[in-house]
Amino acid sequence: MEQEKTSKINSYLTFKLGDEEFAAHVGKVLNILEMTKITTVPKAPDYLKGVINLRGAVLPVIDARIKFGMPEAEYTTNTCIIVLDIDLDGDSVHVGAIVDSVQAVLEIDNNQIMPLPTLGSRYKSEFIIGMAKIDEKFIIILNMDAVFSIDEITNLRVNTEINADNVNVEKID
Amino acid sequence: MDSFKKKFIEEASELIDKLEVTLLELEKNPDDPTQIQQVFRVMHTLKGNSSMFGFDLIDKFTHNLETVYDLIRNNQLKLTPQVLNVTLSSVDHLKAMLDEENYDDPDFLTTHNGLIAKINQLINPDKPMEEKQSVQINENKSEEVIHSYYVFFEPRKDIFKNGTNPLYLLDELTSLGKAKVFAHFNRVPLYDQINPEQCYVYWEAIIATENEVNSINDVFIFVESDSKLEIQKVADINLLADEKFLEEITQLANVQKDIGFVTVQRLANQSIARHNKSKSEVVKRERIGYKDKSTASIRVSSDKLDGLMNLVSELVTTQARLSLFAEENSVPGLAPIVENVQKLSRQLRDIAFSIVLIPIENLFGRFQRLVRDLSQELKKDVEFITEGAETELDKTIIENLSDPLMHIIRNSLDHGIEESAIRLAQGKSSKGKIQLKAFYSGANVIIQISDDGAGIDTEIIREKAIQKGIITAERKLSKKEILDLIFLPGFSTAKKVTDVSGRGVGMDVVKKKISEIRGEVEVDSEVGEGTTITIKLPLTLSIIDGLLVSINKSAYVIPLAAIDKIYAVEKSKIYTSFNNLITLDGKQIPFFSLRKEFNLSASDEELEQVVVVNFEDNSVGMVVDFVIGEYQAVLKPLGKHYKTHDIFSGATILGDGTVALVMDTNKIIKDFAKIQVINVK
Repeated sequence: MEQEKTSKINSYLTFKLGDEEFAAHVGKVLNILEMTKITTVPKAPDYLKGVINLRGAVLPVIDARIKFGMPEAEYTTNTCIIVLDIDLDGDSVHVGAIVDSVQAVLEIDNNQIMPLPTLGSRYKSEFIIGMAKIDEKFIIILNMDAVFSIDEITNLRVNTEINADNVNVEKID
Repeated sequence: MDSFKKKFIEEASELIDKLEVTLLELEKNPDDPTQIQQVFRVMHTLKGNSSMFGFDLIDKFTHNLETVYDLIRNNQLKLTPQVLNVTLSSVDHLKAMLDEENYDDPDFLTTHNGLIAKINQLINPDKPMEEKQSVQINENKSEEVIHSYYVFFEPRKDIFKNGTNPLYLLDELTSLGKAKVFAHFNRVPLYDQINPEQCYVYWEAIIATENEVNSINDVFIFVESDSKLEIQKVADINLLADEKFLEEITQLANVQKDIGFVTVQRLANQSIARHNKSKSEVVKRERIGYKDKSTASIRVSSDKLDGLMNLVSELVTTQARLSLFAEENSVPGLAPIVENVQKLSRQLRDIAFSIVLIPIENLFGRFQRLVRDLSQELKKDVEFITEGAETELDKTIIENLSDPLMHIIRNSLDHGIEESAIRLAQGKSSKGKIQLKAFYSGANVIIQISDDGAGIDTEIIREKAIQKGIITAERKLSKKEILDLIFLPGFSTAKKVTDVSGRGVGMDVVKKKISEIRGEVEVDSEVGEGTTITIKLPLTLSIIDGLLVSINKSAYVIPLAAIDKIYAVEKSKIYTSFNNLITLDGKQIPFFSLRKEFNLSASDEELEQVVVVNFEDNSVGMVVDFVIGEYQAVLKPLGKHYKTHDIFSGATILGDGTVALVMDTNKIIKDFAKIQVINVK
């Protein structure tokens, strides 16, 4: 029943990463927080920036830029953490996403959403529901469950592990 | 499901478990009246409860079982191994009966009817000899089948005329059991008026007998019509055993003319009351003797417990903030109050956590049954010893342990313990031994299963592994590494697949289930001597006592239970050490820098601190920037995103709102050791 409700709602929260503008369905968004001190968790994948204290609960925080393969950027006063409620293997999981800035909440009708062009896309298509043209700019509508799932972790982790091993081969002598 | 039905099923399951344990005890001591009474009581309760909640099938089934044990406790039936076997099978069946969906299953019905037949046979055995024997014993001991009757017998005046001698009748009466007869001579006229051919005497008697009232009626059968006869049951107990009653009645008989039924009944009731009181006292005493903890416990729903735990956790966090605040702002009079709050919340936390912990002995009981049944089936003579039944664990952990432990014990019985003949040939005792131990070690609970059986032959495992292509023939493995191979899926060196084990779906599942509860499992074995499997589990209390340390301005928590000692060491000593060994207190201790581990640059400080923790019987030092102090950490999970990131068991929120990560020292050290190995290569 919840799904019916959310599909009737056509509101999306838009945010920016660099020059690109993205949108997330409001059903997935719990909260928007100002940037705050993040406790780093050592030896974790790059995009898992760390954890923060959200009203007594520990919330993992992902740097969306890194997840999307963009170079890391300095945090500004506009940088926010969007607290998302995503579905991970059937469980409801809270995770925070660091974005450059949050724009607005827009109404986007289903018929305004166009499928992605299959070739030449910079991002993997399973993460993107589609694109919408609002006010002359293209907004990429994301599948938040897929984007912030942990599948990518295993791939990335293997890489970082091998890297770490190589690094540690140097002895202390 | 109806909540009452659910309640009944919960309670019935507990009762059935208790029943099983008692039956196993009875097997070792078949004459223990306390245990027999306990069995009877459980059956009785089950019967009563099941009829109340509409489980008629269980009601009827337990009724017959109850009869069997009623006979046993009255010594009318002997508790033979056959009886025990039937009872144990019935217990299994009872468990099945709790699930109404089974009622349509034809196998279920077959078992059901079969058991009912067997039980009925026990109640009405074919052999008459057993009955005779039981009746004999009955006369000597039991008091509960005896009824007391009041008899008033006034024969007709001319009863002598047809040759009846009332005294003969009284003899016959008293032969039925124990009797107290009072003869009343108050109607006998003065000497000069007596007609010797007439009977002036009448009698009142109290007779205690197990016979039914008809036997008493039979005594007077020929004189019934000619005399005033009153036969009434006054009690279901032996009134004559009650001295007070005897006293009162004798007194009355001497004083009054007749005692009369009414008076007798009154006195009898008093006697019954006294009897019941003393009986219940005995029963109470018996209950205490049976270590029955259930008299002082109540059932609480786990939701309420979860709610309680959460609140206690939040209280601890808030109290930490309060303490911090009090330190930073010296308000007069605040300090002692805050200290008190800290003390109280610590005590509350300890009690709250002890509530969710239950002793592991429940599990042990189940295993007793398993070993007994299996050893019978495999025809192996095995002794099962348990130690540390009072060790407490989180309820969910215990539930998740049940299957893995059962599998391990099965393996021991099936593959480990050899048959008696083989054991004797090897110089071992014919009785095999399986030992199950549970104890605390640091921040963990250790559960060990050891047997003195055949052990695991590492050569065979190696062969099998090479066969399966898991390892190459040239690969050299340590004994431990070879033994660890049994945890791989599909691995089984059993020569034949039995019903019990050997299908190779065991040990890997065991390992998986134990990792799910954040535990570890290891196996050690000597060929010909035996095998020991050790399971290490964390005490997942969500509040742990920890040491707060700082590394690169970030705070981390090290569980206090893992820490041996803390040393302050000069930085130079650390970075110029050879082979990562440092001398502390005269001992060479391996160490590593957590800064390095966490891929951070070296610190600027001159002095660093080394926290020495215990790791599998060794000491390992971890270098931190500095130690902040003791801290009660409310453990919060890091979330699914960090699920594979196991060097941290979780995080905690400090008094100032920042997050500190809680380290799992075992995993960190293992990680470090792994990298060391690569280094050496």
